[in-house]
Amino acid sequence: MLNGRKPLSLPAQIFDLLLIELTNWRWSWRSMLIIATIAPLLSIVALGVFARDAGPEALRYVLTGNVVMALMFGIMGNVQSRFNFMRVMGGLDFFATLPVSKFALILAVVLGFLLLSLPSIVVTAGLGALILGVPLSISPLILLVVPACAVPLAGIGAIIGIRGRTPQESGAINLLVTLVLAGLGPVLIPPERLPDWLVAVGRASPATYAASALRETLLGPVTAALAVDLLALCSFGLVSFWLVGRYLDWRQR
Amino acid sequence: MEQPANQDISLQIYQGEIFGILGDNGAGKSTLVKQMVNLLSSSAGTIELFGRSILDHPDFVTTQVGYMPQEALALNNLSVGEALYFTAHLRGMSRKEAGQERERLLALWGLEPLRNRYSSRLSGGQRRLLRLAVAMAGSPPVLILDEPTNDLDPQRRKLVWDILRQLNQESAITIIFITHDAIEAEKIIQRVAIMRDGRLVALGRPGQLKQQIDRKLRLELFFQPELPPTLPPECNHHVVETGRWLVMLDSEQVAAVMSSLDIACLDDFRLYSATLEDLYLHYAERP
Repeated sequence: MLNGRKPLSLPAQIFDLLLIELTNWRWSWRSMLIIATIAPLLSIVALGVFARDAGPEALRYVLTGNVVMALMFGIMGNVQSRFNFMRVMGGLDFFATLPVSKFALILAVVLGFLLLSLPSIVVTAGLGALILGVPLSISPLILLVVPACAVPLAGIGAIIGIRGRTPQESGAINLLVTLVLAGLGPVLIPPERLPDWLVAVGRASPATYAASALRETLLGPVTAALAVDLLALCSFGLVSFWLVGRYLDWRQR
Repeated sequence: MEQPANQDISLQIYQGEIFGILGDNGAGKSTLVKQMVNLLSSSAGTIELFGRSILDHPDFVTTQVGYMPQEALALNNLSVGEALYFTAHLRGMSRKEAGQERERLLALWGLEPLRNRYSSRLSGGQRRLLRLAVAMAGSPPVLILDEPTNDLDPQRRKLVWDILRQLNQESAITIIFITHDAIEAEKIIQRVAIMRDGRLVALGRPGQLKQQIDRKLRLELFFQPELPPTLPPECNHHVVETGRWLVMLDSEQVAAVMSSLDIACLDDFRLYSATLEDLYLHYAERP
């Protein structure tokens, strides 16, 4: 006898899957606390020592660059490890046999880790500003900027997690990509102190635009450059999510 | 060229039947059930569920079929109660119905004391029962179970077979399962498919298939190794292990052999017709 049931609406699917994803907090809070908060704060302390002599602009870069690092550790790293875990341990198969959309699952994972990362972002920005003595001038646009920064980074993390053959391989690639994105372009260091070629290459990295957008909305002033940053971040986000959808093994593999 | 995981399989499973799939490791059983639930694609042929192509109606499969994979750690972060509730709700039940479904399944599978325990903290057997309950959450009319009794102690194995039989009898749920536990499965199985090297080598009711392989009866004798029983000269025995023989008998031989045996000298004896395990061994191992 058929049960006549229909799949839930997309928002209801996303809500349930988001609640399931938020339970990741049960195992990930320690790594979130250590990696996504303490690591950027330690980096702020260490880089701050050198940056003090380079002037206030360098300190602004250290602060916002490390907020980007917190986003990369908290969102990119965790999304990577979540997708790889689901792929390797059968979680994707489980969800694929339920009436849920692939995109609802992707969105729920990203939203879940965005929410779980917010405390570490707030702590990194707040304590970092105190440590470095950089005055905060927070624009309400930060509410738009943080998700815009998170989306492309989450997309990159998801691609690494989906493509990685083992958790070890996936984790190593993610760490490498994190370091490359942080070092590529004016993320932690002002462009005047970087070689021209590195600044030029940095234009191809979402971390550059994320750092720029965070600088404007955390420390001010907000200028027209923010629109360019948001446009670039949205473009990176769209491309990365298109790739996630394409690479994610789902039904009919 | 790579050998396909399975080939030329053609079978129909009827609504409301309990259908077992037997075969050695690597015979293609798990691949077949993964194709049935749309996880794997087939390079040729079609699979239909209640007359609808599963390729064209993926949501129909996910709402009507509950699948229990061999291994899955999908819900490790959730408690037992949460896993059942979310699965039932995602399968299309309302929140109220999903709550009631959780209570029903907790009671049915004896999982009430574990309601708030995280799945990752369960023993292998408890996790297997949870996965069975999760497969049933949302009351799908078809269950596809990949080795439902692995890791289970005899008491829980009996619980599983009893519940599956009860479900089938009371709700006419179609149950398709893979098992290596042929002797236990025989208690509930209605039709069986036996696979070897990705091919279907036998399909039918166990009784029919047994008649095809042989009509001999099996007499198993258990004894102290230093006191082997004396059999009539025309009876050959096969030594299963020290102190255990298997004697194949025609039905007309049974009375004579039994009267010739000194039963008091035996630890135990069993007389039975071909079992599902014999069928499995016959078809799965035949070159």
